[in-house]
Amino acid sequence: MRILTSRERCEGHGLCAALAPEVFDLDDEAVVVNRFDDREVPAEHAEAARRGVQACPVAALRIAD
Amino acid sequence: MTASAAVPTYGADIYTDEAILEPYEHYRALRDLGPAVWLEQHGAYAVARYAAARAVLLDSDTFRSANGIALNEPANQVILGCTLASDGELHAHLRKVVAHRLMPRSLRPLREVVARRAEELVAELVARGSFDAVTDLAHALPMSVVPDFIGWPQEGREHLLEWASANFDSFGPMNARAERAMPKCGEMAAYGAELVRTGNVLPGSLGAGVLEARDRGDITTEQAMMLMLDYLAPSLDTTISAIGSAIWLFARYPEQWDRLRAEPSLVPNAVNEVVRYESPIRAFGRLAETDTEIGGAPIPAGSRVLVIYAAANRDERKFARPDEFDVARPDAVHQLGFGVGEHGCAGQALARMETESLLTALARTVTRFHLDGPPQRALNNLIRAFGSVPVTVETET
Repeated sequence: MRILTSRERCEGHGLCAALAPEVFDLDDEAVVVNRFDDREVPAEHAEAARRGVQACPVAALRIAD
Repeated sequence: MTASAAVPTYGADIYTDEAILEPYEHYRALRDLGPAVWLEQHGAYAVARYAAARAVLLDSDTFRSANGIALNEPANQVILGCTLASDGELHAHLRKVVAHRLMPRSLRPLREVVARRAEELVAELVARGSFDAVTDLAHALPMSVVPDFIGWPQEGREHLLEWASANFDSFGPMNARAERAMPKCGEMAAYGAELVRTGNVLPGSLGAGVLEARDRGDITTEQAMMLMLDYLAPSLDTTISAIGSAIWLFARYPEQWDRLRAEPSLVPNAVNEVVRYESPIRAFGRLAETDTEIGGAPIPAGSRVLVIYAAANRDERKFARPDEFDVARPDAVHQLGFGVGEHGCAGQALARMETESLLTALARTVTRFHLDGPPQRALNNLIRAFGSVPVTVETET
């Protein structure tokens, strides 16, 4: 599973980072950082990643098909 | 317009006084009928299930907001062009002008101010022992934070609450509540226009930012007039609703208050759970741009679609034990009360901050809320709220 993040759309609400800190963080500008930006999310973090994606209030995250 | 074949219909008016007071059985019936249900009385397709509601909100290319938000044409005309009722690039452009001031990173300096005001307010009310959780508590914090933040001058503030409620009433079907609201919406619009003409807004505020954007030529004067109201009208009743509902819920379910006090890190989750359980905004509309479908149900182009957040948030297909209030609910954060996607509530960080600050301050001292009599509902076409929740609090000492 890969996660696509839109820094343009991100408003920094931080719900993803609160739910799945293993996968998401906010940078100094409070914009989302995907720790697995250029690679597959390891299987052990997949469930957390999914929760984080679904919690984004502005749909800045999605799971690549 | 009538329903396309193959879509179930629902005959009841879901905006009567009775339905507004007790909406949840209507919502359950709508969910059970299907992902889209034709509302005969309102000329719109209800979307009451969680998955379908989320899908409609995320597909803002098909389900448009311009001419689509309200259940009546006059209201849709009045709000056309504000961020709530615009689409695509225009919406993104308008949202950018003001929304950056509402993002969590911009609100950081405000966090301490809001927390301090919440603590002062709670200390004063706890000392009194008995107070009204709506008029004394829920009104007080947003009214002491939001008008300054937007930059509204002192004169005119006495009308804000009635104007804001009128705005939400006007978005329903054109019933008696909406008819009564229209003149007040006009007053509010005239006041916002006057602020743009005179430039009488507080320096450094969101309103001042709107005028600067106009002066730079980023937006027109007319757009500035819309934006002046865009974030004020929705930022009061909604938060007030959540705070009033929270206190009522914690009075009803004291074990949930114990749970929150034992684990204050649950406060953000508890706010999501309050918004899920008693969604402040019950529904917003959309307009289908093309022939499409919702969960397999055919929706013709030009149809009005009513996304019922308050029904989606109680969907048993999504939430386990949906009619139970549980501050530790693991997926409370998935609630749709703030909407989601392009039109997701721009003020949610501020709303969360206000509500979290109050609950945190209350959890430090209050051990129990007791209802001092029956709470009174405030009847509004869009907002689920109390007009009065009289309580007495117990404290540790």
